[in-house]
Amino acid sequence: MTSGHSSPTSPDPTSIAVGQAIPSLVVEMTATRIVAGAIASRDFMPVHHDKAFAEMQGAPDIFPNILSDTAYCSRFLTDWAGPDAMVSRLNIRLGVPVFPGHTLTFTGSVTAVTQEGHEVVVDIGFVAKGDIGDHVTGTATVRLPGDITAT
Amino acid sequence: MTAVASTSGADDGGSADATDLDQRLAALIGQPVGGRGVSTGPDAVNVPMIRHWAAAFEDANPAYVDPEIAAGSRWGGIVAPPLMLQTWTMPTPTITGMAERGGVPTVTEGTSGLAVLDEAGYTATLATNSEFEITRYLRPGDEVTASTVFEAISQEKTTRMGRGRFVTWVTTYTDAHGDVVGRQRFTILKFDPSSAAS
Repeated sequence: MTSGHSSPTSPDPTSIAVGQAIPSLVVEMTATRIVAGAIASRDFMPVHHDKAFAEMQGAPDIFPNILSDTAYCSRFLTDWAGPDAMVSRLNIRLGVPVFPGHTLTFTGSVTAVTQEGHEVVVDIGFVAKGDIGDHVTGTATVRLPGDITAT
Repeated sequence: MTAVASTSGADDGGSADATDLDQRLAALIGQPVGGRGVSTGPDAVNVPMIRHWAAAFEDANPAYVDPEIAAGSRWGGIVAPPLMLQTWTMPTPTITGMAERGGVPTVTEGTSGLAVLDEAGYTATLATNSEFEITRYLRPGDEVTASTVFEAISQEKTTRMGRGRFVTWVTTYTDAHGDVVGRQRFTILKFDPSSAAS
């Protein structure tokens, strides 16, 4: 299972503050989830669906492809930021792997809020921790329609 | 498995071979990564693939999957998940023979510039960084083309994985009008696994 659910609406941008925590996203990693993500992102590398092949490559099991990592990152961001959010930047550093049976937990917080034209630009720093350490660390920018300078 | 670079002790003796290698690597910058370097998605952006993706990641963002809410959002209709950008241009695999090709999903034409690094002993690969910049959300019907070139190749570094070089390529994604819809930078460490510190 995964925790959290997509918000049907975006937050009021004037309510977003630096330091504010983003609701966490917990993903219980399973072989099914890894295979589903790899194929949905059209990555047919066998290390993402064939355990015997992964073992031949020196891994203990199959592991998620990077496009699955970035997919969960964007889900973590928009579960909170809602349908009006535009994810305009996602920079990640890849850390230790996750395997079936591991739990991946995304946590993060707002690092900057600025106005750009008719959009509120929200910078976020986050980490996705797996069972053996940080799987992904990253920064992202989401843009919401609105004006935080209006009085 | 995180690659931590350190610049200390990165020296292979400065032989004539190294100079030649540096020149060959410098010549790769701006050149296509693999085959032709340009690929157009086999299918235009479409709702079935969006729904398949949303189901796989259990991403219920209504902008992707709920036509009514999407219509009332800033988008005015269904948009593709921004991080599907690379998915649209992933090549269709050839399942038969994949094992014989060492797990490579497609039958590739020509050689990749990465072969220069393999020949120099940096035979192993570890992905280290991925950066996406999204300039426009895609809608059903959009046709996506990706053009990928080498952007940077570092000097040799000593890392926990062994001696290696960081290689960054940049993919520019364009729509049917040639307008840029996003960019992706991807960095890998090509390293010599036999040189890892024990």
